[in-house]
Amino acid sequence: MSIFDAYVNKVREYVEDMGARGRRMVQIQCPTSPVELLDTLPIRVGPGASSGLILRTDSFAELGNPEAGSCAFTLWTDRVASINNGRITLIGPDIPECPGASLPFGQVMMAGGANLTEKQHDPIRFTQYPSDRIEGYMVRSSSRYMWCRVSKDAASKGFCFETLGRALMAILRSDVPDVEAVEVVFVTSAKEDLEPLEELSTQVEKISNSLIAENWKAKGFDLYECSLGWDCSVCPDRPVCDDIRQIIKVRKVTGSQGETNPEG
Amino acid sequence: MVRQYKYEPHLFRRYKEERDYFSFLSGILAQDPDPISQLSREITDITVERYDQIMQYAEEGKPFIAGYFCAAPEIYEAMDLPWYMIMATPFLAASAPYLLGDIDGAEAMGLGTDWCTACRLSLYYIEAELTPKPWALIGLIHPCDAGNLLHQSVARNQKWRDVPIFATDPPYFEDQRSIDYFAGELRRMVAFLEEHTGHKLDLDRLREVCIESNKQYELWAEYAQLRRAVPCPHGWGIGGPQCFAAVQVFQTGKPRGTQWLRNLLANTEQRVKEGVGTIPNEKIRYFWFDLLPFGWVFEFLPWLEEEWGAVMVMEMFGFTPYTPIDIRNEDTIFKGLAKRNLYDSPMVRQARGPADYFAADIVRVVKDYNIDCVIWPGHMGHKDGSASTGIMREICNELGVPYIHIGLDLFDKRYTTPDECKDKVSKFFSAMGLG
Repeated sequence: MSIFDAYVNKVREYVEDMGARGRRMVQIQCPTSPVELLDTLPIRVGPGASSGLILRTDSFAELGNPEAGSCAFTLWTDRVASINNGRITLIGPDIPECPGASLPFGQVMMAGGANLTEKQHDPIRFTQYPSDRIEGYMVRSSSRYMWCRVSKDAASKGFCFETLGRALMAILRSDVPDVEAVEVVFVTSAKEDLEPLEELSTQVEKISNSLIAENWKAKGFDLYECSLGWDCSVCPDRPVCDDIRQIIKVRKVTGSQGETNPEG
Repeated sequence: MVRQYKYEPHLFRRYKEERDYFSFLSGILAQDPDPISQLSREITDITVERYDQIMQYAEEGKPFIAGYFCAAPEIYEAMDLPWYMIMATPFLAASAPYLLGDIDGAEAMGLGTDWCTACRLSLYYIEAELTPKPWALIGLIHPCDAGNLLHQSVARNQKWRDVPIFATDPPYFEDQRSIDYFAGELRRMVAFLEEHTGHKLDLDRLREVCIESNKQYELWAEYAQLRRAVPCPHGWGIGGPQCFAAVQVFQTGKPRGTQWLRNLLANTEQRVKEGVGTIPNEKIRYFWFDLLPFGWVFEFLPWLEEEWGAVMVMEMFGFTPYTPIDIRNEDTIFKGLAKRNLYDSPMVRQARGPADYFAADIVRVVKDYNIDCVIWPGHMGHKDGSASTGIMREICNELGVPYIHIGLDLFDKRYTTPDECKDKVSKFFSAMGLG
């Protein structure tokens, strides 16, 4: 059992809900081996496949502009059977239908592997950002949004969400060999349709941050100022903190000059 | 209650010298027809105009304040309150000829030399009566202890005892609770400013400012992408710091700033299309993960380009995320401002919370910008970041990209001299096989 299992189920419920609401939905079953995934793609995939940059004038469509809506996250589980290996679910219009459009964009990548553990969390989440590895596709370099462009050249070659999904699956399988199954959900239907995903994303991010902190701790680094899990009774720095708290108490009692926030 | 402001001309002596320094730079740049020089000139022009505006308001007895780029300058603009940073000299005028003398002055005053030079200088200017006294001061108690100490000192400083001060309290984590809390802090800041300046915040005006500001951030974000091009269209001379100056300091929510960004973008897109780099033979693409060494920038960064073909592709201020402010209503506007000012503002966003910001930024920049090496300058004042140097080195090791921690003072070239920096970086480039 893995920490994200419940969220894999919640994503399934979300997809069902979108279907029940009558959203246009396509499910594509792709090959499952990394080689076959790339076999018939119209674009190149791999390091240096793209310059990493698509100019505004060269863009066929934009995905996930924050104004239009953007949400993306990754999930993984050691229960391989819970992942529909090779499945791409698209809720909303596909890229070729939307020349010049700025589409809302949701992307959920779900990976399964019997040997997956918390240690692979970081490499899995970073595969969302393919950098220069997908021809004609750019994820803008920003720490906050999945904000992307598809080039006119790539669109003319037939770039669509199946292309993107297969490329992402292949990259994930290649970067994290313990991944045995990958499934991707794309949403382009409406900004409101991203709201339930954003709620999930907030929870996933909390878990993700904990895993990141734990992984750093395993390497000998603490991400947070307080390093002992807030168990003050065993902390060698407790006298220092106690002194600081005492000073804060004194300041609160005597009042501080100016209007700096006393709780700050 | 709005206090009676007394104009004291002697407090503006250094301020006027700074203004004249920028005016001098503008004059030099005006003589160079190169489009990049003209873009730079526009920035020095708007800098001079802000200095003039502050001096004019002071003389006429109109309210102006001291504030910060990460404390919602959109609000100052909407309230029609000209503002300056008490840390402006180290940031903006650091190449001015009097800087080293002022650093000595701060030391002679007894301010600790292990304290960030930017903060030390700012307190020195107040104590030496070289900084305009504002109607009200927005202080900063994040992201570093040094900044916090500066503002605590100012709050208790005899010379500025009559200046009302308010500091927004920054939460540590990045979540909705923190955003809600910080939005409340910004509302308290508005109440404080209204009380002490008599200016009122008009929500419609704030909405207008945010709409324009959103355009500016989007253009800035677009510009940042263009620096991914190989060769990089611009080097250290223009980029993030100028965008920062326009968007977060001098032209926040103003159409002129938006136009400047459009001009910058047009120039950069043209260079990318033509494959023109900042130098003819780009050999090393480096990520300078801090402020530029403003105190001695001309002695170091041009040398890196000329000697090593090393181009600053990205730096800390250039990698600023774009969060549009949702202008639907007052609540969404304040929450948007909270998010932007806590989690987007350069340097503040990396140094305020968990250290993973440093690692995550390095991963994205190295991969997206085709970076050959990461330089953490290790400014003596950035102890918060230097505490994360192990994390940064570790992530660079994982990425297979060389990392160097120099250890210098961005403002005082005597701390680690430019020659020592050149020597360190040269050995690093050679040892890593980059040169």
